[in-house]
Amino acid sequence: MAQHWADRLARACALLGGLLLLVMMAVTCVSVVGRNLLNQTIIGDFELTGMANGVAMALFMPWCQLRRGHILVDFFTAKAAPKTIQALDRAGALMLAVCMLALAWRTAVGGLNAHGNFSTSMLLGLPNWWVYAGMLPPLVVTVGIALLQAFGLTKAQKATA
Amino acid sequence: MSLAASLGLGPATLALLIFGAMLGLMALRAPIAVSMGLAGALGYAAQAGWAPLLSFLNDLGFARFASYDLSVIPLFILMGHFATQGGLSKALFAFASVAMAPFKGGLAMAAVLASAAFGSICGSSVATAATITSVALPEMRRHGYSGRLSTATLAAGGTLGILIPPSVPLIIYAILAQQNIAKLFAAAVVPGVLAMLGYMLAIGIYVRLKPGHAPEVSSAARPKMTWPLVAGVLPIGAVFAIVFGGIYGGWFTPTEGAAIGATCTLAAALFKREMSWDKLAQSFYATAEASAMIFLIFLGADLMNSALALTQLPNQLAGLVQAWDWSPMVVVIAMLLFYIVLGTVMDELSMLLLTIPIFFPIVNGMNFGMPQESVAIWFGVLVLMTVGFGMLAPPVGLNVYVVNSMAKDTPIAESYRGVVPFLISDALRMLLVLVCPGVALWLVAFVA
Repeated sequence: MAQHWADRLARACALLGGLLLLVMMAVTCVSVVGRNLLNQTIIGDFELTGMANGVAMALFMPWCQLRRGHILVDFFTAKAAPKTIQALDRAGALMLAVCMLALAWRTAVGGLNAHGNFSTSMLLGLPNWWVYAGMLPPLVVTVGIALLQAFGLTKAQKATA
Repeated sequence: MSLAASLGLGPATLALLIFGAMLGLMALRAPIAVSMGLAGALGYAAQAGWAPLLSFLNDLGFARFASYDLSVIPLFILMGHFATQGGLSKALFAFASVAMAPFKGGLAMAAVLASAAFGSICGSSVATAATITSVALPEMRRHGYSGRLSTATLAAGGTLGILIPPSVPLIIYAILAQQNIAKLFAAAVVPGVLAMLGYMLAIGIYVRLKPGHAPEVSSAARPKMTWPLVAGVLPIGAVFAIVFGGIYGGWFTPTEGAAIGATCTLAAALFKREMSWDKLAQSFYATAEASAMIFLIFLGADLMNSALALTQLPNQLAGLVQAWDWSPMVVVIAMLLFYIVLGTVMDELSMLLLTIPIFFPIVNGMNFGMPQESVAIWFGVLVLMTVGFGMLAPPVGLNVYVVNSMAKDTPIAESYRGVVPFLISDALRMLLVLVCPGVALWLVAFVA
């Protein structure tokens, strides 16, 4: 059950992030064509791309963690017993959950600060807290997925270096 | 007073402790990004206190993720996955295998050629290796190539993607060293082509010295080059021409080139009627996995670098190198050897992110009898080649691991035995670029 929802959520986040990449592609193409062929520039295309990228990268985190896509070194534990490896991988997921929780917490604080001091993007004047707010939910989802893995409630592949 | 100061720890001891904690966590299978992040965060807090660490974290995610400069990375990765899902790799290998058919070991050479061509529209060397492996490995095995030669060739072919633009490690070096991406792309082209030819030569020599790893060439069954084969690779040529023509023609920046390239590749896949909603989703999933891995490494490396910078060790190291008064060439060689050693246990991005901020200022401050920009570009190409070497060399060659995991009947030791000729070719090319910087630099002169 937990596995099912983790999978659903992680996929939804990844697809949403992919859509943001498509938006970034579209903005850039319109901007480049406009600049070179129509002699018209789009103001703030860099900013839009950067901000969209911020949310997209956070949206990619849950899927990567679900797939255990974060690169690790298995050279020193290559000959360890499967049980040891499983325990170490759970510990690794727990450490990632702690890091991700700290990141989510501080991103929330950072977002509140950005909201409080009205920090905006340079040209378009878009509020920066939008990006913090967009990053927060997928980071929290990633914490949840890593915790599920730490307590052995999911099955997924791993990546190795 | 900070914890570190109250314990009376000197900068070198402290830096060693932080670095050691990171390596210790890595050895225990913690993700590399987490190892760097935890060791860095604790090291930072021990020196500066918890409150500065927490405020450092407030904007860390935003600053790194919402970065226009870094947005090229997911876009170049997405471009590669569009090409994979769009069947462009299949067409490429079909074309290459006919083109290389006259030679002994031709199918292996074709895999190298296809990897190089695929690397020209794909930013990630692991993705290149995995993509070409999925189309080339079954064919090579079916034609009687040994598991050793097939897997080694494909792993080596993947590393070509590091040099052949677009390349994610190259972009990261350019950003870290504040160099022009377009010029670095140009500098990597000749070494990249040399790498491809060197690998083909290595295959040609190997199959003659060690018979039994490749089938004999039969003139009767030699396939002919046909128009559909050529037409199959035209989309890749077109995308490459648009992206790099646009960058060097001054139509758009390399950063914009990533978005344009991804769009063109998607268009080519749609044009070939090879793109479906499901394949689009698969491209997103694969891009998500690769990008998230890289961006988490950025955060971990940021924490690690900040903690190391607080120890003052990087500055002291720079001073020490100056005081030793070694010749600049010896310093560069020492650094490259360090990369080879570190590369046996670390992935290429973490290595670049941790070392370039320390090494680059040292190299930049030395006199090689070349303009500073040339030194920066030349050093970058050397570092990238060394990093590629690490992806192939035992005990932890990421590319070998990836390719081998796709070949069920080949033990990993066989694959590592097979990469030896390619490592020799790598070493010779590194020496060449080290001694003759012009190999990398002459093309840069044509970039305005």
